[in-house]
Amino acid sequence: MIVAGLLVGGAAGACLRHFVDRLVQDRHRRNFPLGTLVINVSGSFLLGFLAGWAEHHGVSASWQTFGGTGITGAFTTFSTFSYDTVALAESGRWATAGRNVAFSLVFSLAGVALGLALGIHL
Amino acid sequence: MPTDSRSARPTTWSEPLGRYGLIAVGGAAGTLARYGLARLWPVATNGFPWATLVANVGGGFVLGLILTLVVERWRPTTALRPLVAIGFCGGLTTWSTLMLEIAQRGRHGDPGLAVAYLAITLVVGFGAVVAGIAVGRIGAEGKPSLPVPDPDSLGDLGDAGDRGHPTNGHDPSDGCPS
Repeated sequence: MIVAGLLVGGAAGACLRHFVDRLVQDRHRRNFPLGTLVINVSGSFLLGFLAGWAEHHGVSASWQTFGGTGITGAFTTFSTFSYDTVALAESGRWATAGRNVAFSLVFSLAGVALGLALGIHL
Repeated sequence: MPTDSRSARPTTWSEPLGRYGLIAVGGAAGTLARYGLARLWPVATNGFPWATLVANVGGGFVLGLILTLVVERWRPTTALRPLVAIGFCGGLTTWSTLMLEIAQRGRHGDPGLAVAYLAITLVVGFGAVVAGIAVGRIGAEGKPSLPVPDPDSLGDLGDAGDRGHPTNGHDPSDGCPS
């Protein structure tokens, strides 16, 4: 059951990531990987919420694996974030690369903290 | 720099279901591999999350390697980017778990570990992407390579995007047949 949930959650998270990235990047022509930023910040919020809710209200291990390791784990990505940052730096856009790192970190850490707080206190 | 390079491509190259199928298969495989690493390498709430670090660094290396091969070396393929780059590397690596692990270590009184974990992940992760790109370019010296896509097309390179770029030599119709 755990493996089935992982496979379904991982497949759904990856497809959702591609869909959201297309949605954002098609509407935004700036030289900034906004799609991945939106994905990583929202996914961090959702995982924080799930973890907070699990901590305070209890969530079964299989649902935690499905939602946390599967869906939000596969939805968010470290590899694209790193690749985009390296590609920006390689093309001389160091300031944009730095902004990508700073925005990703600041908004995602705020998102995961907010999610945790909401999950615990709601 | 033209900003409408994407609109030059007909938006009707509707996302074929086949592409999402490949992303789903790769994403499921990557997620399973990440879960396997976490099972092999269980970590205490206040321990160093080696499993996530290995997954993220490994996925960064594979993504740098595969995108360099696909964009600069190999003939355009339709399946590798959705299957390996968007699917597998995206499923293997994770940002949300990384952020949660940092937040948990900060909350449970070990901000030094949180900062060290973040710094090590970023430094080694970026290094892995650079190494993957370098390995992908081994033997390419002196051979004509495709031009480096301009940053406007970053989405083309990122594993979450696969919009053909007019300057990278790919046939704009190299998407999966619908």
